[in-house]
Amino acid sequence: MSYLSLSNITKQFGDTVVVDNFNLDIAKGEFVSFLGPSGCGKTTTLRMVAGFEIPTSGRITLDGADITEKAPNQRNVGMIFQSYALFPNMTVAQNIGFGLSVRKESKEMIKQRVDEMIALINLEKHANKYPYQLSGGQQQRVSLARALAIQPQVLLLDEPLSALDAKIRVSLRAEIRAIQKKLGITAIFVTHDQEEALSISDRIVVMNTGLMEQVGTPFEIYNFPQTQFVANFVGSLNTANAEVSEPANGLVNVDGVQLITASDIKSRKKGDAIRVSIRPERFSFADNQKKDNVLDCTVENITFLGAVVRIQVKIGNAKFNMDTFNNPFLELPKIGSKQQVTCSKEAVLVLDE
Amino acid sequence: MSFLSRLRRFPFWSWVWFIVGALYFILPLLATFEFSLTWDPAIPFKAYQRSFEDKDFWETFIYSNVLALATILFSILLIVPTAYWIRLRLPEARRIVEFITLMPFVVPAIILVFGMIRIYSAPFNVPFTDIQIMQPLTNFKAGTNVLIISGYMVLAMPYMYRSVDTGMRTVDIRTLTEAAQSLGANWFVIISRIILPNIRSALLSGALLTFAIVVGEVTLASFLGVDAFGPYLFLLGQHRAYEPAALSFVSFLLTWLAMGLIQLVSGGQGQAAGAH
Ligand SMILES: Nc1ncnc2c1ncn2[C@@H]1O[C@H](COP(=O)(O)OP(=O)(O)OP(=O)(O)O)[C@@H](O)[C@H]1O
Ligand SMILES: [Mg+2]
Repeated sequence: MSYLSLSNITKQFGDTVVVDNFNLDIAKGEFVSFLGPSGCGKTTTLRMVAGFEIPTSGRITLDGADITEKAPNQRNVGMIFQSYALFPNMTVAQNIGFGLSVRKESKEMIKQRVDEMIALINLEKHANKYPYQLSGGQQQRVSLARALAIQPQVLLLDEPLSALDAKIRVSLRAEIRAIQKKLGITAIFVTHDQEEALSISDRIVVMNTGLMEQVGTPFEIYNFPQTQFVANFVGSLNTANAEVSEPANGLVNVDGVQLITASDIKSRKKGDAIRVSIRPERFSFADNQKKDNVLDCTVENITFLGAVVRIQVKIGNAKFNMDTFNNPFLELPKIGSKQQVTCSKEAVLVLDE
Repeated sequence: MSFLSRLRRFPFWSWVWFIVGALYFILPLLATFEFSLTWDPAIPFKAYQRSFEDKDFWETFIYSNVLALATILFSILLIVPTAYWIRLRLPEARRIVEFITLMPFVVPAIILVFGMIRIYSAPFNVPFTDIQIMQPLTNFKAGTNVLIISGYMVLAMPYMYRSVDTGMRTVDIRTLTEAAQSLGANWFVIISRIILPNIRSALLSGALLTFAIVVGEVTLASFLGVDAFGPYLFLLGQHRAYEPAALSFVSFLLTWLAMGLIQLVSGGQGQAAGAH
């Protein structure tokens, strides 16, 4: 039984369909990310859950109750904004206590809960400061505490980390995840940063121009992308034009080089034009072990990326990137040298367009 | 730091313009003050004594101040929600409303007051009948007060609307509104606890201008026949020499005092709008 459920949600602004037949069931305590490029409708979907937009059609239910048309202040939903949206005229403590004071809770109750929340986000020293006296990361933590103070049924976060610098972004996302787990709160997290989504989520919804492309765990999304779009958007990817040569045996031909794939291509005919995708880290230089695909290549370029080294190789006429972990004893091939690379047949993906 | 670079950082021209502006404003005031002292060299403050002894001065002055406060209050009640709603939901209506609020600059007060008198000196009837609901507003004191406050609200509108709208530009009211809504706040709570405190300094400057306009206003007050400070000062000016000078100076000081008090009272609660 799902806790939060969006069924057949469609949202139009005028004639433009911004969200198209969106279906998602979220379990209680689950952390779900919406991942997709700018303008794909992530925020709009989130705002429908918050009540700031009403779907053109479809229903949203929360804990068994239909909330599709409920006013935002009647829902028990916490919202975190990219711009923090703290009330500038209130101190940290007043900001956190705002939702409770609106609910006419007693002074003692508010004070106790505010103290609890301030401890949760480790800002004890800043309780009486005003938002402008805090750093961006601190402000966003206050906004998290403010949303959690009312014990919302769902926590909605719209790119909460985008305005922060890289270091804070990583530490705050871990903090958000830890707090979410500790409180067992159901959360939807919007981002266009794939690394963020992969690292923080129980499940990821990959969206593209209003459509759900794929829903799955970070592991599934990364390792078993179902569409070209997902494969491209999450992680880096080599893609090449190919031709089906033996559908029954999973053989494809990339620029004259034969590859075997584990993807199901039985429904295709010999000679069909397809595209194959291979993640750079799935290639390795040939050793003596038996591999599905062993390919002759020429090393074209080597780029040092820190933890990984990216090597551009030419297989037949197609160019591929291969990634290998960096270590001080790594022996890199010479540019222009002839090598053999290998990859398993599972690494060779044939995806729906 | 070298002397030169310190000199460069000193905002020389800003100060020049500030001083020029201040002189432009203060010199006439000083002249007025000086003149008001010259009535009787033996009793320097004679003009002031005489003025304060006059019962009419106190009555008209207090009445005008009450009118000003009422105008400010009702203007805030009308304009804050309007400007808020336009920013939030009807940005396309902004130009029209801005145009409307500028009307007092185009249509002089005299035309406004004649229009008011023409319409409201007739009794209110049930439409299409002769059954009277209410006597003309111009015929009784409360009705006239309603008229004159409404008139003043119109005159103050350009200043009030502009200050409020500018105040709202400095805060992201749309996101703050949504944040408050998701925390359970209704419209009343949002406007009173989020919007108003964050545009406080803008409200204050709007209120100051409104105050200045209303306390000295002559046209509306005299044509509607109310005993306000403006017409009193005007009459005095035609018959006396020294008292009007003294009163002008005093009313300036009082307005400043009042504004200083408001600033003090509302400034005490920490930083608010414009903190970023
Ligand atoms: N109120 C509105 N009126 C008309 N169109 C809108 C409105 N709100 C959003 N849109 C359109 O809907 C589309 C999706 O917008 P949305 O904000 O949901 O995207 P997003 O996925 O959150 O993008 P981003 O990553 O840039 O935040 C965009 O093309 C946007 O222009
Ligand atoms: Mg967005």
